[in-house]
Amino acid sequence: MSTKRRKSAVPRRMLIGLGAFVILFYSLAPLLWIFVASITPEHTANFDRAWLSNRQVTYFPDSPTVANYVSLFATVPFGTYFRNSTIIAGGNMILTLVIASLGAYGFVRFRFFGRSSFLVATLVAYTIPSVVLLVPLLVIFRTYGLNNTHFGMVLAEATHSAPFVLLLLINYFSTLPRDLDEAAQVDGCGRLKVLWRIILPLSLPGLVAGGLLAFIMTWNNFLFAFLLTSTAEVKTLPVIMRQFALGEPAVWGVSAAGAIVSTLPVALIFLLFQRMLMSGLAAGAVKG
Amino acid sequence: MTDLPMPAVVKPRRRRKRIDLFPYLMIAPICLLLAAVTVYPTLKAIELAMTDASLLRLQRATFIGIANFKRMLGDQVFLDGLWRTLRWDVAVVSLELAVALPIALFLNLNFRGRGFVRAAMMVPYITPPAVVGLLFLYMFDGNFGVVNDLLVRAGVLDGYVAWMSSPTASFWIVVSAMVWYGTPLMALILLAALQTIPGELYEAAQVDGASPWSQFLNITIPHIMPTVFFLLLLRMIWMSNHIDMIFVMTGGGPGFSNHTEAVYSFMLTNQFQIGYASAIAVVLAAMLMFVSAFYVRHLARNVLVNAS
Repeated sequence: MSTKRRKSAVPRRMLIGLGAFVILFYSLAPLLWIFVASITPEHTANFDRAWLSNRQVTYFPDSPTVANYVSLFATVPFGTYFRNSTIIAGGNMILTLVIASLGAYGFVRFRFFGRSSFLVATLVAYTIPSVVLLVPLLVIFRTYGLNNTHFGMVLAEATHSAPFVLLLLINYFSTLPRDLDEAAQVDGCGRLKVLWRIILPLSLPGLVAGGLLAFIMTWNNFLFAFLLTSTAEVKTLPVIMRQFALGEPAVWGVSAAGAIVSTLPVALIFLLFQRMLMSGLAAGAVKG
Repeated sequence: MTDLPMPAVVKPRRRRKRIDLFPYLMIAPICLLLAAVTVYPTLKAIELAMTDASLLRLQRATFIGIANFKRMLGDQVFLDGLWRTLRWDVAVVSLELAVALPIALFLNLNFRGRGFVRAAMMVPYITPPAVVGLLFLYMFDGNFGVVNDLLVRAGVLDGYVAWMSSPTASFWIVVSAMVWYGTPLMALILLAALQTIPGELYEAAQVDGASPWSQFLNITIPHIMPTVFFLLLLRMIWMSNHIDMIFVMTGGGPGFSNHTEAVYSFMLTNQFQIGYASAIAVVLAAMLMFVSAFYVRHLARNVLVNAS
Protein backbone atom coordinates (compact mmCIF):
# COMPACT_ATOMS: atom_id res chain seq x y z
CA MET A 1 0.00 0.00 0.00
CA SER A 2 2.83 2.43 0.74
CA THR A 3 5.04 4.06 -1.86
CA LYS A 4 4.48 2.28 -5.09
CA ARG A 5 5.64 3.10 -8.55
CA ARG A 6 2.73 3.95 -10.76
CA LYS A 7 3.04 4.53 -14.47
CA SER A 8 3.49 8.26 -14.00
CA ALA A 9 3.94 10.45 -10.98
CA VAL A 10 1.30 13.02 -11.88
CA PRO A 11 -1.92 11.08 -11.16
CA ARG A 12 -0.54 9.89 -7.83
CA ARG A 13 0.24 13.44 -6.80
CA MET A 14 -3.21 14.55 -7.84
CA LEU A 15 -4.82 11.75 -5.87
CA ILE A 16 -2.73 12.63 -2.83
CA GLY A 17 -3.73 16.26 -3.18
CA LEU A 18 -7.37 15.32 -3.46
CA GLY A 19 -7.19 13.04 -0.42
CA ALA A 20 -5.43 15.69 1.63
CA PHE A 21 -8.04 18.25 0.62
CA VAL A 22 -10.91 15.97 1.61
CA ILE A 23 -9.39 15.29 5.03
CA LEU A 24 -8.64 18.96 5.63
CA PHE A 25 -12.13 19.98 4.56
CA TYR A 26 -13.80 17.33 6.69
CA SER A 27 -11.77 18.21 9.76
CA LEU A 28 -11.70 21.97 9.55
CA ALA A 29 -14.81 23.10 7.69
CA PRO A 30 -17.18 23.06 10.69
CA LEU A 31 -14.77 25.18 12.70
CA LEU A 32 -14.24 27.56 9.78
CA TRP A 33 -17.99 27.81 9.42
CA ILE A 34 -18.45 28.81 13.04
CA PHE A 35 -15.57 31.24 12.72
CA VAL A 36 -17.35 32.92 9.81
CA ALA A 37 -20.48 33.07 11.97
CA SER A 38 -18.54 34.71 14.76
CA ILE A 39 -17.38 37.57 12.54
CA THR A 40 -20.73 38.06 10.84
CA PRO A 41 -22.50 41.13 12.19
CA GLU A 42 -25.65 40.31 14.09
CA HIS A 43 -28.69 42.17 12.84
CA THR A 44 -30.39 42.04 16.19
CA ALA A 45 -27.62 41.90 18.72
CA ASN A 46 -30.17 42.71 21.34
CA PHE A 47 -30.12 40.40 24.29
CA ASP A 48 -33.69 41.18 25.29
CA ARG A 49 -35.37 40.77 21.96
CA ALA A 50 -33.10 38.60 19.88
CA TRP A 51 -34.93 37.86 16.67
CA LEU A 52 -33.66 34.58 15.33
CA SER A 53 -35.26 34.55 11.93
CA ASN A 54 -33.43 37.71 11.08
CA ARG A 55 -30.23 35.75 10.75
CA GLN A 56 -29.36 34.55 7.26
CA VAL A 57 -27.05 31.88 6.01
CA THR A 58 -23.89 33.86 5.36
CA TYR A 59 -20.86 32.38 3.66
CA PHE A 60 -18.82 35.55 3.34
CA PRO A 61 -19.84 38.42 5.58
CA ASP A 62 -19.80 41.78 3.75
CA SER A 63 -18.48 43.66 6.73
CA PRO A 64 -16.59 41.37 9.12
CA THR A 65 -16.77 42.53 12.70
CA VAL A 66 -15.35 41.75 16.11
CA ALA A 67 -18.51 43.06 17.78
CA ASN A 68 -19.56 39.52 18.75
CA TYR A 69 -16.29 38.98 20.61
CA VAL A 70 -16.68 42.31 22.37
CA SER A 71 -20.20 41.57 23.54
CA LEU A 72 -19.13 38.06 24.54
CA PHE A 73 -16.92 39.54 27.22
CA ALA A 74 -19.10 42.58 27.94
CA THR A 75 -22.57 41.01 28.17
CA VAL A 76 -21.86 37.39 29.13
CA PRO A 77 -19.35 37.10 32.01
CA PHE A 78 -17.20 35.05 29.67
CA GLY A 79 -13.98 36.27 31.26
CA THR A 80 -15.00 34.63 34.55
CA TYR A 81 -15.76 31.30 32.89
CA PHE A 82 -12.50 31.44 30.99
CA ARG A 83 -10.67 32.08 34.25
CA ASN A 84 -12.45 29.15 35.94
CA SER A 85 -11.55 26.77 33.14
CA THR A 86 -7.94 27.91 33.33
CA ILE A 87 -7.72 27.51 37.11
CA ILE A 88 -9.34 24.06 37.12
CA ALA A 89 -7.47 22.69 34.11
CA GLY A 90 -4.17 24.16 35.30
CA GLY A 91 -4.69 22.94 38.86
CA ASN A 92 -5.57 19.49 37.63
CA MET A 93 -2.49 19.42 35.42
CA ILE A 94 -0.18 20.24 38.34
CA LEU A 95 -1.87 17.84 40.78
CA THR A 96 -1.87 15.04 38.23
CA LEU A 97 1.77 15.50 37.27
CA VAL A 98 2.95 15.49 40.88
CA ILE A 99 1.06 12.44 42.08
CA ALA A 100 1.45 10.49 38.85
CA SER A 101 5.21 10.97 38.65
CA LEU A 102 5.64 9.95 42.29
CA GLY A 103 3.40 6.94 41.70
CA ALA A 104 5.09 5.90 38.47
CA TYR A 105 8.50 6.19 40.14
CA GLY A 106 7.32 3.95 42.97
CA PHE A 107 5.83 1.36 40.63
CA VAL A 108 8.64 1.24 38.08
CA ARG A 109 11.74 1.43 40.24
CA PHE A 110 10.84 -0.49 43.36
CA ARG A 111 9.76 -4.02 44.19
CA PHE A 112 7.55 -4.18 47.22
CA PHE A 113 4.85 -6.32 48.73
CA GLY A 114 1.50 -5.77 47.01
CA ARG A 115 3.01 -3.90 44.08
CA SER A 116 1.12 -5.61 41.29
CA SER A 117 -2.12 -5.62 43.29
CA PHE A 118 -1.91 -1.86 43.73
CA LEU A 119 -1.11 -1.43 40.07
CA VAL A 120 -4.06 -3.52 38.95
CA ALA A 121 -6.28 -1.67 41.43
CA THR A 122 -5.39 1.66 39.81
CA LEU A 123 -6.27 0.16 36.43
CA VAL A 124 -9.63 -1.01 37.68
CA ALA A 125 -10.24 2.46 39.10
CA TYR A 126 -9.37 3.85 35.67
CA THR A 127 -11.98 1.73 33.94
CA ILE A 128 -14.87 2.49 36.29
CA PRO A 129 -17.40 4.22 34.04
CA SER A 130 -17.98 7.85 34.91
CA VAL A 131 -21.76 7.31 34.83
CA VAL A 132 -21.48 5.41 38.09
CA LEU A 133 -19.37 8.14 39.69
CA LEU A 134 -21.62 11.08 38.86
CA VAL A 135 -24.32 10.65 41.51
CA PRO A 136 -22.11 9.60 44.44
CA LEU A 137 -19.58 12.34 43.68
CA LEU A 138 -22.39 14.85 43.76
CA VAL A 139 -23.58 13.53 47.13
CA ILE A 140 -20.09 13.30 48.61
CA PHE A 141 -19.10 16.73 47.36
CA ARG A 142 -22.22 18.26 48.86
CA THR A 143 -21.54 16.57 52.17
CA TYR A 144 -18.00 17.90 52.38
CA GLY A 145 -18.76 21.28 50.85
CA LEU A 146 -16.60 20.60 47.80
CA ASN A 147 -19.19 21.38 45.15
CA ASN A 148 -18.92 24.87 43.70
CA THR A 149 -15.26 25.09 44.60
CA HIS A 150 -12.31 25.09 42.24
CA PHE A 151 -10.51 22.63 44.48
CA GLY A 152 -13.37 20.16 44.34
CA MET A 153 -13.44 20.38 40.55
CA VAL A 154 -9.70 19.74 40.38
CA LEU A 155 -10.18 16.58 42.47
CA ALA A 156 -13.16 15.37 40.45
CA GLU A 157 -11.35 15.80 37.15
CA ALA A 158 -8.44 13.77 38.52
CA THR A 159 -10.65 10.65 38.34
CA HIS A 160 -9.75 10.22 34.70
CA SER A 161 -6.63 12.32 34.19
CA ALA A 162 -4.57 10.89 37.08
CA PRO A 163 -4.71 7.19 36.05
CA PHE A 164 -4.17 8.14 32.41
CA VAL A 165 -1.03 10.13 33.18
CA LEU A 166 0.15 7.43 35.60
CA LEU A 167 0.02 4.82 32.83
CA LEU A 168 1.74 7.16 30.40
CA LEU A 169 4.56 7.90 32.85
CA ILE A 170 4.96 4.22 33.80
CA ASN A 171 5.57 3.53 30.12
CA TYR A 172 7.97 6.42 29.92
CA PHE A 173 9.97 5.80 33.09
CA SER A 174 10.46 2.14 32.29
CA THR A 175 12.34 3.06 29.11
CA LEU A 176 15.01 4.89 31.12
CA PRO A 177 18.08 2.81 31.96
CA ARG A 178 18.48 1.93 35.63
CA ASP A 179 22.25 2.46 35.53
CA LEU A 180 21.66 6.20 35.67
CA ASP A 181 19.83 6.10 39.01
CA GLU A 182 22.34 3.67 40.43
CA ALA A 183 25.21 5.93 39.37
CA ALA A 184 23.47 8.89 40.96
CA GLN A 185 22.87 6.95 44.16
CA VAL A 186 26.53 6.04 44.33
CA ASP A 187 27.26 9.75 44.04
CA GLY A 188 25.15 10.30 47.14
CA CYS A 189 21.75 11.24 45.73
CA GLY A 190 18.78 10.24 47.88
CA ARG A 191 16.00 8.29 46.23
CA LEU A 192 13.70 11.26 45.96
CA LYS A 193 16.55 13.30 44.52
CA VAL A 194 17.10 10.63 41.87
CA LEU A 195 13.54 11.19 40.72
CA TRP A 196 13.94 14.95 40.72
CA ARG A 197 17.44 15.18 39.25
CA ILE A 198 17.64 12.21 36.91
CA ILE A 199 14.29 10.73 35.97
CA LEU A 200 12.11 13.79 35.60
CA PRO A 201 14.56 15.78 33.42
CA LEU A 202 15.05 12.73 31.18
CA SER A 203 11.33 12.17 30.76
CA LEU A 204 10.48 15.77 29.95
CA PRO A 205 8.63 14.88 26.71
CA GLY A 206 6.49 12.37 28.63
CA LEU A 207 5.76 14.94 31.34
CA VAL A 208 4.83 17.57 28.77
CA ALA A 209 2.54 15.14 26.96
CA GLY A 210 0.91 13.87 30.16
CA GLY A 211 0.47 17.31 31.68
CA LEU A 212 -0.95 18.90 28.58
CA LEU A 213 -3.28 16.01 27.88
CA ALA A 214 -4.56 16.27 31.45
CA PHE A 215 -5.08 19.99 30.84
CA ILE A 216 -6.96 19.41 27.59
CA MET A 217 -9.12 16.63 29.08
CA THR A 218 -10.10 18.82 31.99
CA TRP A 219 -10.65 21.89 29.85
CA ASN A 220 -12.98 19.93 27.59
CA ASN A 221 -14.86 17.93 30.21
CA PHE A 222 -18.50 18.80 30.46
CA LEU A 223 -20.18 16.32 32.81
CA PHE A 224 -18.46 16.95 36.13
CA ALA A 225 -18.45 20.68 35.50
CA PHE A 226 -22.15 20.65 34.74
CA LEU A 227 -23.10 18.53 37.72
CA LEU A 228 -20.80 19.90 40.40
CA THR A 229 -21.01 23.62 39.72
CA SER A 230 -23.99 25.88 39.86
CA THR A 231 -22.58 29.34 40.43
CA ALA A 232 -20.91 31.58 37.87
CA GLU A 233 -17.87 31.73 40.14
CA VAL A 234 -16.93 28.12 39.30
CA LYS A 235 -18.74 27.28 36.04
CA THR A 236 -16.44 26.36 33.19
CA LEU A 237 -16.61 27.01 29.46
CA PRO A 238 -18.28 23.72 28.38
CA VAL A 239 -21.18 24.48 30.75
CA ILE A 240 -21.64 27.85 29.06
CA MET A 241 -21.45 26.17 25.67
CA ARG A 242 -24.50 24.15 26.64
CA GLN A 243 -26.34 27.30 27.64
CA PHE A 244 -25.48 28.69 24.24
CA ALA A 245 -26.70 25.50 22.59
CA LEU A 246 -30.01 25.88 24.39
CA GLY A 247 -30.24 29.33 22.87
CA GLU A 248 -29.55 31.66 25.75
CA PRO A 249 -28.58 34.28 24.87
CA ALA A 250 -30.22 33.69 21.51
CA VAL A 251 -27.52 35.54 19.64
CA TRP A 252 -25.71 33.04 17.46
CA GLY A 253 -22.86 35.34 16.55
CA VAL A 254 -21.95 35.64 20.21
CA SER A 255 -22.31 31.88 20.78
CA ALA A 256 -20.05 31.27 17.80
CA ALA A 257 -17.48 33.69 19.19
CA GLY A 258 -17.69 31.82 22.49
CA ALA A 259 -17.10 28.51 20.74
CA ILE A 260 -14.02 29.89 19.00
CA VAL A 261 -12.60 31.38 22.20
CA SER A 262 -13.19 28.10 24.12
CA THR A 263 -11.47 26.04 21.45
CA LEU A 264 -8.54 28.30 20.71
CA PRO A 265 -6.37 27.63 23.82
CA VAL A 266 -6.49 23.85 23.53
CA ALA A 267 -6.12 23.94 19.75
CA LEU A 268 -3.01 26.11 20.07
CA ILE A 269 -1.53 23.88 22.77
CA PHE A 270 -2.16 20.88 20.57
CA LEU A 271 -0.67 22.37 17.42
CA LEU A 272 2.43 23.58 19.27
CA PHE A 273 3.16 20.25 20.94
CA GLN A 274 1.45 17.94 18.45
CA ARG A 275 4.21 15.39 18.07
CA MET A 276 4.55 14.71 21.79
CA LEU A 277 0.80 14.77 22.35
CA MET A 278 0.00 12.39 19.53
CA SER A 279 2.48 9.78 20.69
CA GLY A 280 1.14 10.20 24.23
CA LEU A 281 -2.43 9.71 23.04
CA ALA A 282 -1.63 6.65 20.99
CA ALA A 283 0.35 5.09 23.84
CA GLY A 284 -2.16 5.91 26.55
CA ALA A 285 -5.13 4.68 24.61
CA VAL A 286 -3.89 1.35 23.34
CA LYS A 287 -0.93 0.09 25.23
CA GLY A 288 -2.11 1.41 28.55
CA MET B 1 27.04 2.98 55.33
CA THR B 2 29.93 4.00 53.06
CA ASP B 3 32.61 3.27 55.63
CA LEU B 4 31.35 -0.21 56.38
CA PRO B 5 33.79 -2.80 55.14
CA MET B 6 31.27 -5.21 53.67
CA PRO B 7 28.09 -3.36 52.75
CA ALA B 8 26.97 -6.22 50.51
CA VAL B 9 26.63 -8.45 53.52
CA VAL B 10 25.08 -5.91 55.85
CA LYS B 11 22.41 -4.68 53.44
CA PRO B 12 20.30 -7.81 52.96
CA ARG B 13 20.12 -8.47 56.68
CA ARG B 14 18.78 -4.97 57.23
CA ARG B 15 16.22 -5.35 54.46
CA ARG B 16 14.79 -8.47 55.94
CA LYS B 17 14.36 -6.83 59.31
CA ARG B 18 11.92 -4.04 58.36
CA ILE B 19 9.79 -3.14 55.41
CA ASP B 20 11.04 -0.31 53.24
CA LEU B 21 8.29 2.30 53.40
CA PHE B 22 9.66 4.54 50.67
CA PRO B 23 7.84 2.98 47.67
CA TYR B 24 4.59 3.00 49.62
CA LEU B 25 5.07 6.71 50.26
CA MET B 26 5.57 7.23 46.54
CA ILE B 27 2.37 5.50 45.49
CA ALA B 28 0.32 6.71 48.46
CA PRO B 29 -0.89 10.03 47.00
CA ILE B 30 -2.28 8.61 43.78
CA CYS B 31 -3.74 5.53 45.46
CA LEU B 32 -5.42 7.61 48.17
CA LEU B 33 -6.79 10.06 45.63
CA LEU B 34 -8.18 7.29 43.44
CA ALA B 35 -9.66 5.59 46.47
CA ALA B 36 -11.36 8.84 47.43
CA VAL B 37 -12.71 9.83 44.03
CA THR B 38 -13.38 6.46 42.39
CA VAL B 39 -13.46 3.49 44.78
CA TYR B 40 -15.41 5.16 47.58
CA PRO B 41 -17.94 6.75 45.16
CA THR B 42 -18.47 3.39 43.46
CA LEU B 43 -19.36 1.76 46.76
CA LYS B 44 -21.52 4.75 47.57
CA ALA B 45 -23.29 4.34 44.22
CA ILE B 46 -24.20 0.76 45.09
CA GLU B 47 -25.45 1.89 48.48
CA LEU B 48 -27.52 4.71 46.95
CA ALA B 49 -28.95 2.34 44.37
CA MET B 50 -30.69 0.49 47.17
CA THR B 51 -32.32 3.58 48.64
CA ASP B 52 -35.06 5.96 47.57
CA ALA B 53 -32.62 8.87 47.95
CA SER B 54 -33.53 12.20 46.47
CA LEU B 55 -31.22 15.18 46.38
CA LEU B 56 -33.94 17.27 47.98
CA ARG B 57 -34.13 15.14 51.13
CA LEU B 58 -30.83 13.36 51.28
CA GLN B 59 -30.88 12.81 55.04
CA ARG B 60 -34.19 10.98 54.97
CA ALA B 61 -33.22 8.39 52.35
CA THR B 62 -34.45 4.96 53.36
CA PHE B 63 -33.21 1.53 52.41
CA ILE B 64 -35.57 -0.11 49.94
CA GLY B 65 -33.53 -3.15 48.91
CA ILE B 66 -33.89 -4.15 45.32
CA ALA B 67 -37.06 -2.15 44.69
CA ASN B 68 -35.22 0.16 42.27
CA PHE B 69 -34.07 -2.81 40.23
CA LYS B 70 -37.59 -4.21 40.13
CA ARG B 71 -38.87 -0.84 39.02
CA MET B 72 -36.55 -0.97 36.00
CA LEU B 73 -38.21 -4.12 34.71
CA GLY B 74 -41.49 -2.25 34.42
CA ASP B 75 -39.98 1.02 33.24
CA GLN B 76 -40.54 1.45 29.51
CA VAL B 77 -37.93 4.22 29.23
CA PHE B 78 -35.35 1.91 30.75
CA LEU B 79 -36.31 -1.09 28.62
CA ASP B 80 -36.32 0.91 25.39
CA GLY B 81 -33.11 2.48 26.57
CA LEU B 82 -31.32 -0.85 26.17
CA TRP B 83 -32.10 -0.86 22.46
CA ARG B 84 -31.34 2.87 22.14
CA THR B 85 -27.95 2.34 23.82
CA LEU B 86 -27.08 -0.50 21.48
CA ARG B 87 -28.25 1.46 18.43
CA TRP B 88 -26.14 4.46 19.48
CA ASP B 89 -23.07 2.26 20.14
CA VAL B 90 -23.25 0.44 16.84
CA ALA B 91 -24.02 3.53 14.77
CA VAL B 92 -21.19 5.62 16.24
CA VAL B 93 -18.54 2.93 16.40
CA SER B 94 -19.09 1.48 12.94
CA LEU B 95 -19.22 4.90 11.31
CA GLU B 96 -16.09 5.96 13.16
CA LEU B 97 -14.27 2.93 11.85
CA ALA B 98 -15.59 3.52 8.34
CA VAL B 99 -14.22 7.06 8.36
CA ALA B 100 -11.05 6.43 10.35
CA LEU B 101 -9.68 3.51 8.35
CA PRO B 102 -9.44 5.35 5.00
CA ILE B 103 -7.89 8.34 6.77
CA ALA B 104 -5.32 6.11 8.47
CA LEU B 105 -4.50 4.31 5.21
CA PHE B 106 -4.08 7.64 3.47
CA LEU B 107 -1.84 9.07 6.18
CA ASN B 108 0.28 5.95 6.01
CA LEU B 109 1.39 6.94 2.51
CA ASN B 110 4.54 8.96 2.04
CA PHE B 111 3.90 12.45 0.81
CA ARG B 112 5.01 15.99 1.48
CA GLY B 113 2.92 17.80 4.07
CA ARG B 114 1.80 14.58 5.73
CA GLY B 115 2.59 15.96 9.19
CA PHE B 116 0.41 18.96 8.50
CA VAL B 117 -2.54 16.89 7.30
CA ARG B 118 -2.17 14.59 10.29
CA ALA B 119 -2.20 17.51 12.72
CA ALA B 120 -5.23 19.07 11.03
CA MET B 121 -6.97 15.69 11.13
CA MET B 122 -6.64 15.68 14.93
CA VAL B 123 -8.30 19.08 15.42
CA PRO B 124 -11.87 17.75 15.92
CA TYR B 125 -10.65 15.57 18.78
CA ILE B 126 -9.16 18.58 20.56
CA THR B 127 -12.33 20.64 20.20
CA PRO B 128 -14.37 20.51 23.43
CA PRO B 129 -17.35 18.13 22.91
CA ALA B 130 -19.75 20.83 24.07
CA VAL B 131 -18.42 23.07 21.29
CA VAL B 132 -18.79 20.21 18.79
CA GLY B 133 -22.42 19.90 19.84
CA LEU B 134 -22.92 23.62 19.34
CA LEU B 135 -21.21 23.45 15.92
CA PHE B 136 -23.48 20.72 14.65
CA LEU B 137 -26.62 22.33 16.06
CA TYR B 138 -25.57 25.46 14.25
CA MET B 139 -24.99 23.70 10.95
CA PHE B 140 -28.32 21.87 11.13
CA ASP B 141 -30.32 24.79 12.47
CA GLY B 142 -33.83 25.10 11.06
CA ASN B 143 -33.62 28.82 10.37
CA PHE B 144 -30.09 29.60 9.33
CA GLY B 145 -28.33 26.23 9.11
CA VAL B 146 -25.89 25.70 6.29
CA VAL B 147 -27.17 22.18 5.64
CA ASN B 148 -30.68 23.41 4.93
CA ASP B 149 -29.31 26.11 2.68
CA LEU B 150 -27.14 23.72 0.67
CA LEU B 151 -29.91 21.14 0.33
CA VAL B 152 -32.40 23.74 -0.83
CA ARG B 153 -29.90 25.12 -3.33
CA ALA B 154 -29.21 21.62 -4.60
CA GLY B 155 -32.93 21.13 -5.06
CA VAL B 156 -33.19 18.23 -2.60
CA LEU B 157 -35.46 20.11 -0.24
CA ASP B 158 -38.23 22.58 -0.95
CA GLY B 159 -37.96 24.47 2.29
CA TYR B 160 -36.02 24.56 5.52
CA VAL B 161 -36.47 21.63 7.88
CA ALA B 162 -36.29 21.78 11.69
CA TRP B 163 -34.02 18.73 11.89
CA MET B 164 -33.59 18.56 15.63
CA SER B 165 -37.29 18.12 16.33
CA SER B 166 -37.40 14.84 14.41
CA PRO B 167 -36.41 11.78 16.49
CA THR B 168 -34.67 10.05 13.57
CA ALA B 169 -32.90 13.09 12.17
CA SER B 170 -31.76 14.30 15.59
CA PHE B 171 -30.34 10.86 16.36
CA TRP B 172 -28.26 10.85 13.19
CA ILE B 173 -27.12 14.42 13.71
CA VAL B 174 -25.88 13.62 17.21
CA VAL B 175 -24.21 10.49 15.80
CA SER B 176 -22.46 12.52 13.13
CA ALA B 177 -21.27 15.05 15.69
CA MET B 178 -19.91 12.20 17.81
CA VAL B 179 -18.26 10.56 14.81
CA TRP B 180 -16.66 13.84 13.79
CA TYR B 181 -15.31 14.24 17.31
CA GLY B 182 -14.17 10.65 17.86
CA THR B 183 -12.74 9.64 14.50
CA PRO B 184 -9.29 11.27 14.86
CA LEU B 185 -8.31 9.18 17.87
CA MET B 186 -9.33 6.02 16.09
CA ALA B 187 -7.46 7.07 12.95
CA LEU B 188 -4.36 7.87 14.99
CA ILE B 189 -4.36 4.46 16.67
CA LEU B 190 -4.99 2.65 13.39
CA LEU B 191 -2.17 4.64 11.83
CA ALA B 192 0.15 3.57 14.64
CA ALA B 193 -0.85 -0.05 13.95
CA LEU B 194 -0.29 0.34 10.20
CA GLN B 195 3.17 1.73 10.79
CA THR B 196 4.25 -1.40 12.62
CA ILE B 197 3.70 -3.56 9.52
CA PRO B 198 7.14 -4.35 8.11
CA GLY B 199 7.63 -2.89 4.61
CA GLU B 200 9.38 -6.06 3.41
CA LEU B 201 6.05 -7.86 3.44
CA TYR B 202 4.72 -5.54 0.77
CA GLU B 203 7.94 -5.71 -1.21
CA ALA B 204 7.83 -9.49 -1.20
CA ALA B 205 4.18 -9.43 -2.24
CA GLN B 206 4.99 -7.07 -5.08
CA VAL B 207 7.73 -9.34 -6.29
CA ASP B 208 5.18 -12.13 -6.31
CA GLY B 209 2.92 -9.92 -8.39
CA ALA B 210 0.18 -9.39 -5.84
CA SER B 211 -2.24 -6.61 -6.68
CA PRO B 212 -2.61 -3.66 -4.26
CA TRP B 213 -6.06 -4.94 -3.35
CA SER B 214 -4.87 -8.42 -2.49
CA GLN B 215 -1.96 -6.92 -0.55
CA PHE B 216 -4.50 -4.94 1.43
CA LEU B 217 -6.63 -8.01 2.09
CA ASN B 218 -3.80 -10.41 2.88
CA ILE B 219 -1.24 -8.23 4.63
CA THR B 220 -2.80 -5.04 5.94
CA ILE B 221 -6.10 -6.36 7.24
CA PRO B 222 -4.71 -9.35 9.18
CA HIS B 223 -2.08 -7.13 10.79
CA ILE B 224 -4.43 -4.45 12.03
CA MET B 225 -7.22 -6.85 12.98
CA PRO B 226 -6.27 -7.11 16.69
CA THR B 227 -6.13 -3.32 16.96
CA VAL B 228 -9.46 -2.94 15.18
CA PHE B 229 -11.11 -5.48 17.45
CA PHE B 230 -9.68 -3.81 20.50
CA LEU B 231 -10.77 -0.36 19.33
CA LEU B 232 -14.31 -1.51 18.61
CA LEU B 233 -14.58 -3.04 22.06
CA LEU B 234 -13.20 0.02 23.82
CA ARG B 235 -15.32 2.47 21.87
CA MET B 236 -18.45 0.42 22.54
CA ILE B 237 -17.79 0.64 26.26
CA TRP B 238 -17.08 4.34 25.98
CA MET B 239 -20.11 5.09 23.89
CA SER B 240 -22.42 3.20 26.26
CA ASN B 241 -21.25 5.59 28.95
CA HIS B 242 -21.32 8.66 26.82
CA ILE B 243 -23.58 11.48 27.89
CA ASP B 244 -22.08 14.84 26.86
CA MET B 245 -22.91 15.01 23.20
CA ILE B 246 -26.45 13.65 23.46
CA PHE B 247 -27.27 15.79 26.47
CA VAL B 248 -25.82 19.02 25.08
CA MET B 249 -27.47 18.63 21.68
CA THR B 250 -30.86 17.14 22.55
CA GLY B 251 -31.29 16.84 26.32
CA GLY B 252 -32.31 13.26 25.50
CA GLY B 253 -35.24 14.41 23.38
CA PRO B 254 -37.38 14.94 21.45
CA GLY B 255 -39.46 12.97 23.92
CA PHE B 256 -37.36 10.06 25.14
CA SER B 257 -36.04 9.27 21.68
CA ASN B 258 -32.38 9.84 22.58
CA HIS B 259 -32.45 8.44 26.11
CA THR B 260 -29.66 5.91 26.19
CA GLU B 261 -29.24 4.31 29.62
CA ALA B 262 -26.42 6.69 30.53
CA VAL B 263 -28.44 9.72 29.45
CA TYR B 264 -31.50 8.42 31.29
CA SER B 265 -29.52 8.04 34.49
CA PHE B 266 -28.14 11.54 34.04
CA MET B 267 -31.57 13.05 33.38
CA LEU B 268 -32.90 11.39 36.54
CA THR B 269 -29.98 12.86 38.46
CA ASN B 270 -30.95 16.28 37.18
CA GLN B 271 -34.47 15.60 38.43
CA PHE B 272 -32.95 14.80 41.85
CA GLN B 273 -34.03 11.12 41.76
CA ILE B 274 -30.54 9.98 42.63
CA GLY B 275 -31.49 6.62 44.11
CA TYR B 276 -33.05 5.32 40.92
CA ALA B 277 -30.41 7.10 38.81
CA SER B 278 -27.69 5.25 40.71
CA ALA B 279 -29.47 1.95 40.27
CA ILE B 280 -29.55 2.41 36.50
CA ALA B 281 -25.90 3.47 36.42
CA VAL B 282 -24.91 0.43 38.48
CA VAL B 283 -26.83 -1.93 36.19
CA LEU B 284 -25.24 -0.34 33.12
CA ALA B 285 -21.79 -0.64 34.68
CA ALA B 286 -22.40 -4.25 35.63
CA MET B 287 -23.35 -5.08 32.05
CA LEU B 288 -20.26 -3.35 30.75
CA MET B 289 -18.10 -5.07 33.33
CA PHE B 290 -18.21 -8.28 31.31
CA VAL B 291 -16.71 -6.49 28.38
CA SER B 292 -14.33 -4.31 30.32
CA ALA B 293 -12.95 -7.17 32.43
CA PHE B 294 -11.38 -8.31 29.20
CA TYR B 295 -9.89 -4.88 28.67
CA VAL B 296 -8.60 -4.59 32.23
CA ARG B 297 -6.86 -7.94 31.88
CA HIS B 298 -5.19 -6.87 28.67
CA LEU B 299 -4.19 -3.52 30.18
CA ALA B 300 -2.88 -5.12 33.35
CA ARG B 301 -0.73 -7.60 31.46
CA ASN B 302 0.71 -4.79 29.37
CA VAL B 303 1.42 -2.49 32.28
CA LEU B 304 2.93 -5.19 34.43
CA VAL B 305 5.28 -6.06 31.57
CA ASN B 306 6.11 -2.42 30.97
CA ALA B 307 6.71 -1.59 34.59
CA SER B 308 9.20 -4.35 35.16
